[in-house]
Amino acid sequence: MKKFTSQFWLQRPIYWGLFFGLTGLLSSCGSGDIPLGPTSLNSRYTEEQPALSGNGRFLALISNRNSTHQLLVYDLQQQSFISIPGLNRRETIIESPSLSYTGRYIAYLTSDQGRPVVALYDRATQQSQIVTPTYRGWVRNPAISPDGRYIVFETAARGQWDIEVLDRGPTIELDIPNGATVNPPQ
Amino acid sequence: MTKPIIFIPILACAGLLTGCFGYPRLVNYPFDPGGRSINSLASELNPQTSGRYIVFTSDRRGSQDVYLFDTLTRNLMDLPGLNALDTIASHPSVSEDARYIVFAASRQGRSAIFLYDRETRQSRNLTANLQAEVRNPTISADGSRIAFEFSNNGQWDISVYDRSGQPVNVPQDPR
Repeated sequence: MKKFTSQFWLQRPIYWGLFFGLTGLLSSCGSGDIPLGPTSLNSRYTEEQPALSGNGRFLALISNRNSTHQLLVYDLQQQSFISIPGLNRRETIIESPSLSYTGRYIAYLTSDQGRPVVALYDRATQQSQIVTPTYRGWVRNPAISPDGRYIVFETAARGQWDIEVLDRGPTIELDIPNGATVNPPQ
Repeated sequence: MTKPIIFIPILACAGLLTGCFGYPRLVNYPFDPGGRSINSLASELNPQTSGRYIVFTSDRRGSQDVYLFDTLTRNLMDLPGLNALDTIASHPSVSEDARYIVFAASRQGRSAIFLYDRETRQSRNLTANLQAEVRNPTISADGSRIAFEFSNNGQWDISVYDRSGQPVNVPQDPR
């Protein structure tokens, strides 16, 4: 019993260390978004990889303005950029954006510890998640379906570029126009 | 005393098994070496999905062509008049009802954006009057708008057209 308590007291500073370490991580993640730069669709720098939302209102693109490589979403109706907090990070690069019907879901290619992964940003929760966490091999060019359920991408698993289809499951919130009928899962 | 320890690997295995059947998961479509399915022995590039249909390019017949796959019937659909032997088609995009397919094609040394209508079986050149290099077209799922990259002042910019081929007015700074 005596031995047990002494072990406990020894380990206690480690918990404090963990506590401060994690709060440090949290606060560093929240450190501001990258400034936008010019507010028109095209700038003096490269704009590339356009992707339209299903209803044709939003346009996702990769822009090199403001000396960063960032993903922007332009509202063609309001003629301005919409805010996508937490999507662009300073230490990583985003490629190949793709939008669902009303632009709620943004699928894109990024890297996780040097490995290319397909990630999904939900504008309703303003959070990103990696959708190919256990997938081994190189991936490229993801595209999301208008309802947001399926993501197709290129894979190098067979030694050449092939197409893989990822199903996010029947329980996700579909991105469909108001008043549309929901088809039963196929 | 050892009995509870036995449960740990059992529970871990059960967790792994349920993980295999959970979502998100990959959908299996039949692999066909003869080229009648989505994947073949040749390369498949630039997939884009509009729900039921997946459009992509493949060089399975020796020329890089556009293919349209129906995930419901699991068959390739006919696209009469779209592919030509002297044309490299790239970066296709399909509307939700699979009526319109937009793609970039390099024909006689010039690249252009084409809009293919499956009902009329005609391709229409949207960028015939645009003196620029063009690439990476995309069409919205409702088929109302088309966006693509074009070269402008030594860098790539994005242009948006409606389906009839008219540019959508997008303001440019300085306004």
